[in-house]
Amino acid sequence: MIYAIRTLVGQEKNVARVIARNVKNSGIGVSSILVPESLRGYILVESSTNLDMQNPVFKVPHMKGSIEGEIPYTEIKNFLNPEPILSSIQKGSIVELISGPFKGEKAKVVRIDESKEDVVLELIEAAVPIPVTVKGDQIRLIQKEAD
Amino acid sequence: MVTKACTRCHRIVEGDLCEVCNLATSKNWSGFLIIVDPEKSHIARDLKIQEAGEYALRVR
Repeated sequence: MIYAIRTLVGQEKNVARVIARNVKNSGIGVSSILVPESLRGYILVESSTNLDMQNPVFKVPHMKGSIEGEIPYTEIKNFLNPEPILSSIQKGSIVELISGPFKGEKAKVVRIDESKEDVVLELIEAAVPIPVTVKGDQIRLIQKEAD
Repeated sequence: MVTKACTRCHRIVEGDLCEVCNLATSKNWSGFLIIVDPEKSHIARDLKIQEAGEYALRVR
């Protein structure tokens, strides 16, 4: 059974570490704690028993409470095998840069290096097309294929 | 301190080498998983993790 616990955004790993340490000493049925990158402010706790939030194990700084009910295992499967970022991007796609010096600029994908997860882009609004190489996690797909 | 993850077993370590696989580790990882009880955990079974510890979900 999987339960969700709300935490302060940015403190997910710390909360998970403290709960894991407490659990080891107390012997309650928690078997793993998952902190998916895409789910900010939540951690997922796998437990063989119902989570008793009154238990001192869960009295942890930066924790904001729990979500009632269980989460089916099939729903968290996507978090376990994060899809490679570049799989949905192809040559000619229009993307937006989401970090770095060109943040907010739109660009067209010129080349993809899948092994390094690098993407070579050409900024659309630049007067002279200059190839820019960025990491795959610095871009967001806007349009799959340019017209 | 920078934590790194082994590129093969995804275990989170602090040094430049994974103590188990003896392979180089990577700073570039995401997703975080703590296995407390690998025998009872469904997640550990799915990811074929047999030892308790901290793991990354994605390492490159």
